[in-house]
Amino acid sequence: MRRVVGRIVLALAGVAVALPVNAHLVETGFGEFYDGIAHVAVTPSDLLVVVALALLAGQRGIVAARYAVFALPIAWFVGGFIGARWPALAAMPLLTTLTFGVAGALVALNFKLRQLGVAALAIGAGVVHGLVNGATMAPAGASSLALGGVVSAIFCVTAILSAEVCALPKGWPQIVVRVAGSWIAAAGLLMIGWLSVS
Amino acid sequence: MNLWRRVFFLITLAIASSAAVAHEMTMAEMELRQLSRTEFQWQWTASGNRPAGEEMTPVWPEGCSEERENNLVRCSEAALGGKMSIKGIGKSYSAAMIKFYWLDGQSRAYTVSGSQPNLRLYAAADDDARGGPWTYLHLGIEHILLGVDHLLFVLGLLLIVGRRWMLVKTISAFTVAHSITLGAATFGIAHVAPLPLNASIALSILFLGPEIVRCWRGETSFTIRHPWVVAFAFGLLHGFGFASGLAQLGLPSEEIPLALLLFNVGVEIGQLGFVIGILMLARAFRLTEMHWPKLMERLPGYVVGTLGAFWTIQRVGMLLRSVI
Repeated sequence: MRRVVGRIVLALAGVAVALPVNAHLVETGFGEFYDGIAHVAVTPSDLLVVVALALLAGQRGIVAARYAVFALPIAWFVGGFIGARWPALAAMPLLTTLTFGVAGALVALNFKLRQLGVAALAIGAGVVHGLVNGATMAPAGASSLALGGVVSAIFCVTAILSAEVCALPKGWPQIVVRVAGSWIAAAGLLMIGWLSVS
Repeated sequence: MNLWRRVFFLITLAIASSAAVAHEMTMAEMELRQLSRTEFQWQWTASGNRPAGEEMTPVWPEGCSEERENNLVRCSEAALGGKMSIKGIGKSYSAAMIKFYWLDGQSRAYTVSGSQPNLRLYAAADDDARGGPWTYLHLGIEHILLGVDHLLFVLGLLLIVGRRWMLVKTISAFTVAHSITLGAATFGIAHVAPLPLNASIALSILFLGPEIVRCWRGETSFTIRHPWVVAFAFGLLHGFGFASGLAQLGLPSEEIPLALLLFNVGVEIGQLGFVIGILMLARAFRLTEMHWPKLMERLPGYVVGTLGAFWTIQRVGMLLRSVI
């Protein structure tokens, strides 16, 4: 009897959480989920922080890569959810610039950050950028499906990039990674300079 | 394990109870015909469940005025040259295809969407070398990326195929097959009614579900040994499905060969992008030695089977309702 009641409760909960799946093709023309994916690609600070953290995680090895693959998108989702609810929390261009600038610098220095440090950095950056995403996307009418697209894109990019960096042979390929990090750090510095002037 | 089963049951129920609409028409079509140098007649010729006219309003270029009751647009001597937009696009309708027919017999097709609601119009077809069938490339990519059923079928194939060479063979067989029927349907050589077609496409996805399970168990079957044959056979069906994307919009006869080619190329770009993405992700999991719980490992297979079953029931139900 208890099992039957449990299943009925479970079924009702399932029906309650179900959302209608609609393909509203507002921005990319391919639906809100794709809008979310595109949002990462066309937002330089978001893209740079994802790339920088993936490179950093890859440099620090398989375990760090595994931490980053989950920590970054989950933290981003939580931040996005909070940002969508309380948009006032999210006006922080300096913080979003600092996150990718610092991550880029760590990549350039090949800094021997501990695996948990990589995870902590990913969580911090994810929450900050997620807050901004949620605060900007929600007023524009984007639903949680768009946030799902953002998080999926981040998961895929982090997984693929960090894994490829992990598998890189020693020598010039790893130097290329550090050069990429230095470019990201330089972009961060330029951005901070521009923010302080404007 | 019992907990995992309950979580899976909950997720499945949540998905199944959603209004999952595959292949609902979210694109409208407008025709604009030149009657004289400065006069054009327009009308919405295709739309989904809600009439396009209720959802969207064309905003004509400066110097043009509209006579509402006759759907006539009168422009200045510069004719229809200028910027046109569609008000209300991106809400119920993702995009609209606008087809121009000039007096000299030439035609052009354009797509406007929420992200690009404006359109640069030209006074005559000769002024615009960019328009025309190229718009079908975009349409092809959109059709495959929004056609979750097609993507799930490809995912199902990926889950069955193990070796790299077999994967190339299987994907190529699917491509060749759907190109054949896409061409045949577009040229009017063959025609399949949409309701049984959609039910068959759903059945093709459902068919892959048990095959994926056989694969997990280490068993073998004809599909597991020769997935390319199955990909070819069902690819013929999916080709008719792709053709529906074009058929709903209609094609001027002079545009068919190039439009068909570009639409097919668009479908291939979308499909290859999806396959490459999945393979790269699988490689990333291998490289980082990520070990998933068994349920998570099997989740894609369950999704293919469950959604295949759901769509089959839904579409067979629609088919039966239309017959009775």
